[in-house]
Amino acid sequence: MALNPMHQFEIYKIGPEINLGNINLSFTNASLFMTISALLILSLLFLGTKKKTLIPSKIQLITEMSYTFVAKMLNDTAGSSAKSFFPFIFTLFMFILFCNMVGMLPYSFTVTSHIIVTFVLAAIIFIGVTILGFVKHGIKYLQLFVPKGVPIVLLPLIIIIEIISYLSRPVSLSVRLFANMMAGHTMLKVFGGFVISLGLLGGWLPLGFSVALTGLEILVAFLQAYVFAILTCIYLNDALNLNH
Amino acid sequence: MKSIKEISARLKIAKKNISVDEQKEVGSNAASLGKALKISTELVASVVVGSTIGFLLDSWFDTKPLLIICFFFMGVAAGILNVFRSAKKMHKKL
Repeated sequence: MALNPMHQFEIYKIGPEINLGNINLSFTNASLFMTISALLILSLLFLGTKKKTLIPSKIQLITEMSYTFVAKMLNDTAGSSAKSFFPFIFTLFMFILFCNMVGMLPYSFTVTSHIIVTFVLAAIIFIGVTILGFVKHGIKYLQLFVPKGVPIVLLPLIIIIEIISYLSRPVSLSVRLFANMMAGHTMLKVFGGFVISLGLLGGWLPLGFSVALTGLEILVAFLQAYVFAILTCIYLNDALNLNH
Repeated sequence: MKSIKEISARLKIAKKNISVDEQKEVGSNAASLGKALKISTELVASVVVGSTIGFLLDSWFDTKPLLIICFFFMGVAAGILNVFRSAKKMHKKL
């Protein structure tokens, strides 16, 4: 059981079963680790902004750096008109980053390695951005599906292709994060299993691999949070500025 | 006041010591890995979405294999379009 690389993704209840109508609302290990991530973010930001000094302490420095990092990313990709969406992007980035990073700790659970979590996040962004585009531009937002300078004969085909490309956004957004996290953690577990089954004699090589992969996984965890946030910025830019 | 001056002097020295090239290289390496992952999923996702739409329309209109074939190829086209677009965006940034 412990050697099964997929065992780590199992979801189980913690505490009593809660049913609301037909919906199972039990508190699971996924909810537990989401709560832990959220509490970690809150405590980091709370501690970082509690004592404001001119010469920042380490924790204040981390908080300010994460703020400037996200603010710069938003400003570079979506322009100054997207400033009002900063809280959303910041929350999204920090939540995914902390979920990924908490998942890197031994005996923990990676929330983002489940497609439903990432897909819901992506779907919220997709629906929100679409509504925002229609609110901002009205029916003109449909221009997004009609590129300029296309002959009329080809137009029906191009429009269908553009719609498919637009609909593929949440899928690619969610699958990317989920696949990266799941593949990485499975690989770590497989190499960890090799260490045990090869024993004291041959286990050193996979152990080295495991250590190297852990480093890579931390990079991927950060990178995927970054890519998720920056793509949200790009989609926001499409909805706000409507230039293809 | 004095301490701020001292700090700014120390900051200047510290900034000099950081080799700028090294920092840049690490950043661009991570960024290009991100781009590679981004493009590969974009291609696949469009194909999947296109085929799913074809499949759903097929079971709607009862034209079993026809629409899924059409939409599969349109999904491929959309995927290539997506990849082309993000490649163009990257080229602009460079």
